[in-house]
Amino acid sequence: MKHLKAINNKAHTLEQAVAQDRVEEVLAMNATVGCTSTVDPGWETDVFGGVTGLCQPMEADLYGCADPCWWPAQVPDLMSTHPDWNKGASDSSQDWRKLDTVFPSDK
Amino acid sequence: MGGLLGLSLLLQHGTTLAAESASAEELLATRCVACHQAEGNDKYSRISHQRKTPEGWLMTIARMQTAHDVPLTDEERRTLVKYLADKQGMAPSETADYRYALERRLNQQETLMEDPQLGEMCVRCHSGGRIAMQGRTEQEWHHLVNFHLGHWPALEYQALSRDRDWLNIALNETVPHLAKRFPLESEAWFKWMEQRPSAESLASRWVFRGHYTGKGEVAGSMTAKYVGDDRFELELDGRYANGELFTGSGTALLHNGHEWRANVDIDGTILRQVFSVVDNEMNGRMFEREHDERGLDFHAVAEAAPTLLAVQPGYVKVGQEQELTLIGSGLNGTPQLGEGIEVLKVLDSSANRMQVQVRVAADAPVGVREVAVGQANGTTLAVYRQISEVRVVPDYAVARIGGNGSPTEKVEGRFDAEAWGIGEDGKTPYRIGFVPATWSVEPFDDEADRLEDVKFAGVMDRETGVFIPGDAGPNPERPMMANNVGNLKVLATVDQGGQVVTGEGQMIVGVQRWVIPPIP
Repeated sequence: MKHLKAINNKAHTLEQAVAQDRVEEVLAMNATVGCTSTVDPGWETDVFGGVTGLCQPMEADLYGCADPCWWPAQVPDLMSTHPDWNKGASDSSQDWRKLDTVFPSDK
Repeated sequence: MGGLLGLSLLLQHGTTLAAESASAEELLATRCVACHQAEGNDKYSRISHQRKTPEGWLMTIARMQTAHDVPLTDEERRTLVKYLADKQGMAPSETADYRYALERRLNQQETLMEDPQLGEMCVRCHSGGRIAMQGRTEQEWHHLVNFHLGHWPALEYQALSRDRDWLNIALNETVPHLAKRFPLESEAWFKWMEQRPSAESLASRWVFRGHYTGKGEVAGSMTAKYVGDDRFELELDGRYANGELFTGSGTALLHNGHEWRANVDIDGTILRQVFSVVDNEMNGRMFEREHDERGLDFHAVAEAAPTLLAVQPGYVKVGQEQELTLIGSGLNGTPQLGEGIEVLKVLDSSANRMQVQVRVAADAPVGVREVAVGQANGTTLAVYRQISEVRVVPDYAVARIGGNGSPTEKVEGRFDAEAWGIGEDGKTPYRIGFVPATWSVEPFDDEADRLEDVKFAGVMDRETGVFIPGDAGPNPERPMMANNVGNLKVLATVDQGGQVVTGEGQMIVGVQRWVIPPIP
């Protein structure tokens, strides 16, 4: 870390966590059923179990994460399984109301 | 040319079969075989080397439709799910520890995370229950790893992958571990196939009790009439503790001798039943199809031998008079409620339901006691002097923003206040039961306070403990136009005549989830 300098809030928070020896806390964190524990960045919670370190608003860069399927069990991945999920909604920050859930019901 | 003719005949044949509602064997031999190699004796590559729950098979087949354009009507998919869930299902004992995932108890925190081979691999994205409710050969688990890498290559550069030799660990450590822990062939499965009952034997009148979070206790009866092909017609006749009716009708389908799935229309809302039926007992959860966070724990017994299923409410306070409702089958005789509880009056009495007025002596021993009505027993009643502790259930929950003109519904937070007392020994805590409380939310920490999460993330109903999250979408009123997410304390306050006891939980109000499979 000594050659890196934190320049934004999230980086400062991470630096503080390292300083306070809270890294173990992060690894021990549990997620509830259906929430991803991939927290770099996270979908439901950030690396500290809160919400302040999330990408916000998530619509600002949603496809930047959905394209490379960062949380494919929560957000439809555009790369393999649901290439047409955002058809007609090319700007997520404007068109987010057009995005629908993808899983079929039991019928 | 001959090949083309053959293909064309095959397609025509397939179409004809569909019109006559094809059997599962025919569907496997005509549709699935396009990719899955026939191995003889009704076996196919991949398909025949796995076992799953009905939901597990539904998800697999639905993925074949989404990812590989397999043409199947809804009826054909139902036929295949039923066939595979019966032929290659899971024994009750194999799913017992993970049923929360089928029952949509999405605030469960899994202990499976303690198994690093699951926690650091599969459970990074999925529930552990999704993995644990499958049986596969080692080769099949191996295929599953390769399939994940091919479809979702980003998994190799997420945390816990990029920082270690992920593929090597996945293939050479995780796969053998999974094959051993969740094998294709298990003693439990072979034993269950021998002993699983016929669906017809479950046709009965079932007496049930439940707890609907946000609404209270429910009890009544459910008549299941067998109509053939493992199907039932259902009539529910129940009521909430406050007298409000809980009645409706629907249909059920039994998979694999114990996996009971039904849809029941209660006052215009479809509730889904996901139960396991073993030894004349039904256990599971009944929840709204479109809002699975709304629902009730469900426990039922077939009306056969005398059984006492529940006392509602399940607790009494010393030195007070109270009305109790006893629910069960074959209720006949005087309630035996133990030392210090006198039945003053029987207000109503039938074989399934008895209402009594009781007086609890000031010196009645506190704690949890077994109670009975004649021959019927099987449940308990808690006696308390004072509530010493209130626990918020669940103590950690995730609600989700939604709506605001989008098709993604809000996911509510729904909480119960669980009262605990201290036993006669002065130190052992015992559970009293769910009690009415006054509900509120507060910022979980300084950050939540600074960002005014309480103002934006949603509204808690003071009476019911039901939290309605905020609207979806960027919010121009928040810094950086953040979503209405939040990190909140959930407080349940119980006032016992001036003495206040408060319980505390945590709720994350998160963003929408768009992938909503039956098993998360």
